[in-house]
Amino acid sequence: MYYKMRLIDKVRVPPNRLGEDLTSVVLDELQMQLEGSIDKEIGIFIAVTEIKDIGEGDIIPSDGAVYFHVEFDAVVLRLAMQEIIEGEVVETTSFGAFISLGPIDAMLHVSQISDDFINYDEKNGRLVCQETRRQISVGDSIRARVVSLSLSERDPRESKIGLTMRQAGLGTGQWLEEDMEAEKADGAA
Amino acid sequence: MTTSYTRYERARIVGARSLQISMGAPLLVKTDRIDPLEIALEEYEKGVIPITVKRK
Repeated sequence: MYYKMRLIDKVRVPPNRLGEDLTSVVLDELQMQLEGSIDKEIGIFIAVTEIKDIGEGDIIPSDGAVYFHVEFDAVVLRLAMQEIIEGEVVETTSFGAFISLGPIDAMLHVSQISDDFINYDEKNGRLVCQETRRQISVGDSIRARVVSLSLSERDPRESKIGLTMRQAGLGTGQWLEEDMEAEKADGAA
Repeated sequence: MTTSYTRYERARIVGARSLQISMGAPLLVKTDRIDPLEIALEEYEKGVIPITVKRK
């Protein structure tokens, strides 16, 4: 889920930027430092939106920069285990599909796509269920549940997010529509 | 104001300020000096350095 948060942090303002407008420099520095980074407790930083308050600056030994205590607003994406998320398929491989959640990609393993046996159609880049002939290809919208989370603070790209669709109410947009139609037909009959 | 600092505080302020200047901070005095330390000292003499000391 996305959160808007009020945070307090220390921001390093390098000496060559001391003459500029402090608020915009602090915003710049925070955006450079935080956007795209991951904090395990806070989440994935999407954007620093507004500086709320700038407190006193400290000068520490052996660095000419000034460190300001800053209160600011940020938008973060914090994924939770078991959370239902929607995304789009960006790549299919023989071992599963990669789902873009927006700021980060997640992995949907073949074993977690369906109770069916899954074949990989290499020529068309599709994953096809053997029994139901349902398929997943690049561009499909996906509703899935987060089942494993391993975020790396050091290297955000190394983060791994595992998804599953082997539950009722989960699948690609098309599957869900088909399920809905089937249920409606069931109810009518 | 300028004389109210001890020599240790003076050293710290001038040192920090000259490091800032050497790293590209904008100058607060008009001068034709080149050495950051000398510029910092000049600023200190004029009492224009925006640094204060927190005494515990």
